[in-house]
Amino acid sequence: MEDLLKSIMLGLASGGIYALVAVSYVIIYKSTRIFAFSQAGMLVIGAYTFWQCLVVWSLPIWISILITLAIAAAIAIIIERVSMRPLIGQPILAPIVVTLGVMLFLRGIALLFWHGEVEGYGEAFLPLGVWHVGFLSLPKIQVYGFIICMLVIALLISFYKYTRTGLGMRVVHEDHLVAQNLGINVKRIFQYSWIFSCAVAVIGGMLLGNIQGVGLDLDANGLIAIAAVLFGGLESFGGAVIAGLAIGIIQIFAIQYLGALLPGEITMLVPFVFLLLILLIKPYGLFGLVRIERL
Amino acid sequence: MTINVDRPCGTFDSNYYQAMEIFRTPLRKFLMIAFIVLLYAIAFILDDYIISILIVFCAFSIGMTGLQIITGYAGQISLGHAAFMGVGMYTMAVFQEHLGFNFWFALPLAGLVPMIIGMLFGVPAVRIKGLYLAFASLAAHFVIVYAINNWRSVTNGTDGMYLHRPGVLLGIDFMIDKYYYILVLTVTVIMIYFAKNLSRTRLGRAFVAVRDNDIAAEVMGINIAHTKVLAFGIGCFYAGIAGAVGGGYYEYVNVEWFTLTDSIWYLGFLVVGGLGSIFGAIAGAVVWKSLDELSTLVTPITEALLGGMAFYASAAFSLVIYSLIVIVVLVLEPRGINHRWQIIKRSYRLHPFPY
Repeated sequence: MEDLLKSIMLGLASGGIYALVAVSYVIIYKSTRIFAFSQAGMLVIGAYTFWQCLVVWSLPIWISILITLAIAAAIAIIIERVSMRPLIGQPILAPIVVTLGVMLFLRGIALLFWHGEVEGYGEAFLPLGVWHVGFLSLPKIQVYGFIICMLVIALLISFYKYTRTGLGMRVVHEDHLVAQNLGINVKRIFQYSWIFSCAVAVIGGMLLGNIQGVGLDLDANGLIAIAAVLFGGLESFGGAVIAGLAIGIIQIFAIQYLGALLPGEITMLVPFVFLLLILLIKPYGLFGLVRIERL
Repeated sequence: MTINVDRPCGTFDSNYYQAMEIFRTPLRKFLMIAFIVLLYAIAFILDDYIISILIVFCAFSIGMTGLQIITGYAGQISLGHAAFMGVGMYTMAVFQEHLGFNFWFALPLAGLVPMIIGMLFGVPAVRIKGLYLAFASLAAHFVIVYAINNWRSVTNGTDGMYLHRPGVLLGIDFMIDKYYYILVLTVTVIMIYFAKNLSRTRLGRAFVAVRDNDIAAEVMGINIAHTKVLAFGIGCFYAGIAGAVGGGYYEYVNVEWFTLTDSIWYLGFLVVGGLGSIFGAIAGAVVWKSLDELSTLVTPITEALLGGMAFYASAAFSLVIYSLIVIVVLVLEPRGINHRWQIIKRSYRLHPFPY
């Protein structure tokens, strides 16, 4: 029982970040119908930029966060404006290849500036140490990380729900043509979506960097989050959150109980085998829209 | 794609068979044969360095042609092509090492095993169109890499395995690079001929129909699931053969040779070359591998300039520059090099007139 609870807590902690990254994919997919693989690269950029501000330049934490978010927004605007907007209306392959290219481009930039060394925030970001709750020992960074993830997601959902721009974005999610007819600037909404998504991804990158160390391998988490997006359904925020948490728990359980049976490192294997199972059993995910097409 | 609209001057098709011929005019046939003969002949002139580049070109042309069948013909997206190439290499190595097969018997198996594995991974993705095969093949990449890394008794884990080239056959010693090049070139020509011919068959037209509109294709009586899985399987067959002949050149294979990055470059440079045509696939492979060769050539210069940082710099520059090329080509010329080549050919053919 203790083991079970511990695993669930650990799973929730890593799952919270998967959920956050999954949400960043969903934001873009819902409004532009593009699956932005580039968000995996944004994780790396976010983690490294934050490290640069916080540790190298030893700026205060709030300014560091603001700078990182500003850089994320700038990158988002550039990606959207330069590479995605000319591809509106192209067949599905073109945007996919471009986002994959952007992912590797961001990885290349990170390698160029920070030489791929694994760094850490130390005590500068979130407090270290452990809380003891009964028999559970909770690392503070993971608890804070989980809370921040949930806060960001809640903030985002309430933005969609209660603001005028959010309403416009929800209309764009439904139908681009209808939105255009209602006087909503669809291209502007695409831009907002990229900015929000990159900001969310960058926050995910900071939290991941705190837990796993700032390095180029953080983009693997972005790929794991793809399994979460697919499980939740490509179009659903709630689904992405639930699926992200589920993937985190499944991953920990698999490592706990199957780790002895399978040799080697199975952190990457488990989410992708799960992804194949989802594709076999419920290809549209838990809450995804089943699209019915006509000729 | 099947019926070439741009007819050479003075060619008039009076029936469908003429319209579907591979070589439209005797001149084209002659030029193509002359080009292939030239490729064979240069083996005896060039030194081993150029030969090694040509072997890499040939191997990746086969692999790229396979991806062309998956992506360009059938419209599916594969993010695991490099991994399937790796499966081909490892199949070759495993059959040679553990079962004592020679090169000639292991070569078809090196195609068939990736084909079967690819079709297995393709099955979950056939129910939905679009992105989903990309996800399934992404999963395939990680499963394959995990299996190769950890199935130590068979694949030797991260240490890599040794392959063997064929020995002496008919008095030709394939251990000499130029004769091995001739072998690889022969395999390439055969594979590319089959790929070209595929677009004229019922199956090839089914691929194109599924790509253009899968619902319409289904209405016309094409079994979409079969067609998609088969396209993926055939593409993986090509990848496996490419891996087997390419790995045979180095006589060694390591799991670190095929990363997700390679799979992405496969897809990216396929688009740079041009979707939907064999010429585009070859052009993409040649551009990609020329850039690789160029980046190794400039390594001494970057080392002189940057000292110890050169390793990171060259890795980072290749990532940045390749991705910029892919993005710029996709944004400015989504139809790739092949389209430019068609424009050049057309303007030559129509010379005094603009169109």
